[in-house]
Formats: sequence, structure tokens, C-alpha cells
Amino acid sequence: MNKPRLIFSSAVSAIITIVYAVVITIWAELSLPLKNWLTNFSGHHWTSKSIFSVLLYAVVTIIIYFVSRDSSENNLRKALILLLVFTVLGTIALTAFFTGHHFKLF
Amino acid sequence: MDLLAIIQSKPVLIGFHLGFAIVGIDAFLWLLGKLKGDGGSRKSMIGTAVIGVGAFIASWLAGGYYYVVYYGKLVRPIIKGGTAPWVHNIIMETKEHIFLFIIPLAVTVLCITFLEKGDLERLKLRRLAWLLSGAVAMLGLLIGAMGFIISAAARWA
Repeated sequence: MNKPRLIFSSAVSAIITIVYAVVITIWAELSLPLKNWLTNFSGHHWTSKSIFSVLLYAVVTIIIYFVSRDSSENNLRKALILLLVFTVLGTIALTAFFTGHHFKLF
Repeated sequence: MDLLAIIQSKPVLIGFHLGFAIVGIDAFLWLLGKLKGDGGSRKSMIGTAVIGVGAFIASWLAGGYYYVVYYGKLVRPIIKGGTAPWVHNIIMETKEHIFLFIIPLAVTVLCITFLEKGDLERLKLRRLAWLLSGAVAMLGLLIGAMGFIISAAARWA
């Protein structure tokens, strides 16, 4: 197993999963048909989001691992820095969205 | 009452959710210390990360089961009808969704621990590794604090 490539694949996939979780959450709050579809898929919208996030992370990690060439030291570091940044931004985005949604700003 | 019924009961599920989360947070804080101070073998770092990832998965499953089966029916109406409905609308909604970040983040840290110590230095990943391990622990602590607010809102609604 190529360990640096595995780390790179996991980091990029984790970033995509975070973006997915933020987008699907906000979108489903603003679109009743999407929220209903998520609810109907598994019985609860959160369970569906959880299942899709796990599948997305696993599948994208595998695809990137087998598709990408060996990433440079620089790209590996960039992917991990971006993962840290997206974790913070994702947390802020969801907190800000639900705060604004509560106060009916959108 | 059989064992499965006991495991599926509300206090036990909350206990598992919180208990496993504490184990996960502690594991990643411990890993942070090992990575920062260059202490412990590679094997011990992998072991610590595996315990942390496993604990967060267990916490996710126990908390998720409680949330889907009990929270919506029993707790949500109390909070929404109480003095602090914002606790559900902001805190709970945010908590349940940022939990989805933890597993991919924690597994990525686990992947970093697979590296030999020499490779960790050669690739200049040590600092990033302990920062990411700290991010997992901080996210866990943030979610824990949110859980405390939610419990308090339901208790004193």
C-alpha cells in the first residue's frame, strides 16, 4: 500500500464529504422535496445523509487512490491544510446557516 | 427485559453516546501529545488512532439511534415548546450535522499514523498530523458542549 497516496486520497475525500454534508444539509432545509426524498430513503433525513456521507467518503477515497499518481510532498501538505480549513469553514457555515434560519433571515 | 432492550433504552444509549465520545476525544488528545512530543512507537500511535476512530463510530451509532428513535418524538417537542427553542433550531441541528465531519477527519489522521517515523519527518507532516488530531478532539469537545446545552434545555424547559 502506498501510504502517502492513501493519506492524500483520504484527505481529498474528507474535504469532498464535508462540502457534501454542508451543501445537502442547507439545500434540504431550503427544499422540502429534497428533505422528503431523504426522509423516504431511509426513514429519517439524517440517517440518509449519514449513509451517503460514509459511502461518498469510502468510494471517493478508493477512486482517488487508484486514479491519482503519487502526489508530491507539497500536494499532500496542501490537501491536509485544506482539510483543516474546510473543517473550520464547514462548522462555521452550518452554525451560521442554522442561526440565520432560526432568526428567519433566510 | 433482555440485553438488547437494555442496550436500546434511552439512558444506556445516551451513556454509550457520551462515553464513547469521551474515549474518542481522549484518544485523539493522547495521539496529539504523542505526535507533538515524538513519543511512543508507530504501533502505539496506530493503536491510539484505531481506538479513537472506533469510539467515534460507536458514539455515532448510539447517538444516531437515540436521535432517530427517541429525540424527535420525546425531546424535540419539549425543547421547541420550552423557553429556549433556539437550542433545537441552532444547537441540535448544527450538532447532528457537524458530527458527519468527524469520521472522515479521524480516519485521515489514522492513515497518517501508518507512516514510518522517518517518512513523517521526510514529508514534513508531523505538525499537520498533530493539528488534525487536535481538530478531531476539538470537534468532539464542541459537540459534547452542544450536547450539554441540549440536555439542559430539555431538563429545564
